[in-house]
Amino acid sequence: MIVLAVMLIAGIVSIMNSIPLSIRTTYGYSQNYLGLTPRGNNAMTPVIRGVVEAESPVPLGPVMVCRASDMEVKSIVGPWRFIVLGLEQDDMPVYLDRLGGARRIDGRWPAPGRPEAIVSEPVARNLGLKLGDVMLSPDRPDSYSAQEVRVVGIAQMEPWMAIVPVEYHRANHFPPIDVLVVMAKDRADQDRLDRWAFDRFQGMQARVFAFFRLERETDEMFVILYSILNVVIGMLVIVITLMMAMLMNIYQSQRLQEFGLLQALGYTREWLLGRVLAETALVVVGGWIAGIGVAFGLLNVVRAVLMEPRAFMLDPQDPVAYVYTVPVPIAIFVASALTVVLRFRRFDPVGVVERRLV
Amino acid sequence: MIEVCRASLVYSDHGRDVFACREIDLEVRDGEFLGILGPSGSGKSSLLYLMSALKQPTSGEVRYQGRSLQAMSETERARLRLREFGFVFQYPYLLGYLSALENVVVACPGENRRDEAAGLLDSLGLGAKSHRLPHELSGGEKQRVCIARALLGGRACVFADEPTANLDHANGVAVVETLIDHRGKGGLVVVTHDPTMLERADRTVRIMDGRVVEAP
Repeated sequence: MIVLAVMLIAGIVSIMNSIPLSIRTTYGYSQNYLGLTPRGNNAMTPVIRGVVEAESPVPLGPVMVCRASDMEVKSIVGPWRFIVLGLEQDDMPVYLDRLGGARRIDGRWPAPGRPEAIVSEPVARNLGLKLGDVMLSPDRPDSYSAQEVRVVGIAQMEPWMAIVPVEYHRANHFPPIDVLVVMAKDRADQDRLDRWAFDRFQGMQARVFAFFRLERETDEMFVILYSILNVVIGMLVIVITLMMAMLMNIYQSQRLQEFGLLQALGYTREWLLGRVLAETALVVVGGWIAGIGVAFGLLNVVRAVLMEPRAFMLDPQDPVAYVYTVPVPIAIFVASALTVVLRFRRFDPVGVVERRLV
Repeated sequence: MIEVCRASLVYSDHGRDVFACREIDLEVRDGEFLGILGPSGSGKSSLLYLMSALKQPTSGEVRYQGRSLQAMSETERARLRLREFGFVFQYPYLLGYLSALENVVVACPGENRRDEAAGLLDSLGLGAKSHRLPHELSGGEKQRVCIARALLGGRACVFADEPTANLDHANGVAVVETLIDHRGKGGLVVVTHDPTMLERADRTVRIMDGRVVEAP
């Protein structure tokens, strides 16, 4: 029972946590640079660039002018929009380096102006793309392009990314807006630059895309969901605790003869109580540890069989999932201990040896 | 060794006071075999519980080696039962998950008396069955394990509450004989309704309606 409860709770929490984890992973590329787009006026892009270059609180690295549209990727909660960047040929390797670099590139870089794309390995896995497959197509409303855009390169790297030549993007994609990708010279300064930009461009005809915003919005998005999760798990803990306390009560009742005999022979009530509580603690802690082990194993199986092939995120080592299970052994031990203490308080060994109580 | 002085034990039965023992005076001397005889419900078991510190008298006093049992704490009385007294109950209670030998050793926690326990079982004819679990033993064998448990460590007094009630006559006699022969220098108090079990008793008292009605 304890094993099942721990497994259930750890499983639920871990799978729930996989959603924000997926968001942070899928859009994790954005922690490497600041995205800036004009609002309502395409002519604002050079102005925004001027402000950044003049006022940036940190030394700047590359600033790329690019185009961006989106396509559809899969997640465990349905389709998500994912950015397709149109980059200059020279900017592509710089961009990949900024994301951590590729261990290897299978295929080649997209040719300038051609309907070709390079994607990272998780994107390819998520969409089931191989070299030569169509990624964007006029037939796909959610992953549209005026021509069939085929994958010509797959970068072996963890961050998600999809790049097409900016010339092709300009000629075939909407909106016709130049977007800025701004990188801090030192990656450690990126967050500072992002936060500065968010404050600096408030009220201007500009929109800021920064990782800290993504994290904040993700946290806010899941506040209510986690509140519901807490209530559900709280109810689960209460139900399981009551059931376990009843089972422990039945178990201890079946041992009344043993307790009565030992007390009649001269074992003290405190000794018996200590022994019963120690046994209870052993069962509860043992069950919890076994439950953690089973949950860990099961989550690894789920990740390997269901999640990994689609590049869905699931962390079997998620500490939060296991912390959520801690109230289970504590509540069960407390409820069981109370049951035992109450029983021992009115326990008469003579009743047992006279067979009045058994 | 044990003195019962005007001891009464009263319990409430649906609001009515019922005397299990009524102002009993009795003494168990060192090394003595005392038989307590009486019909069912006469209060003989209650008297045994008073003498063995399993129950406290409602009034009067029970003393062991001159010391009042009521003056002792519950822990002290438990320690007294564990170290000085041995018990054989009507039902041969054994711990189902322990072997016969381990059930005997239970009487002396924290002491290494396995050899002594094995010797006792051997002398009671259970040497070959000392590693069996209780469900693998007959009723008579279980009761002999209980006797070994009561005798382990050389007790000042062994209390036997209807130890033969669930046995046939021959086995009952054998149980009492075993108790007498193996108690060493300790006292023995046997409660029974069968006078033939007390033929070797040093003294026998009769109990009726919670009172001692006949004492030598």
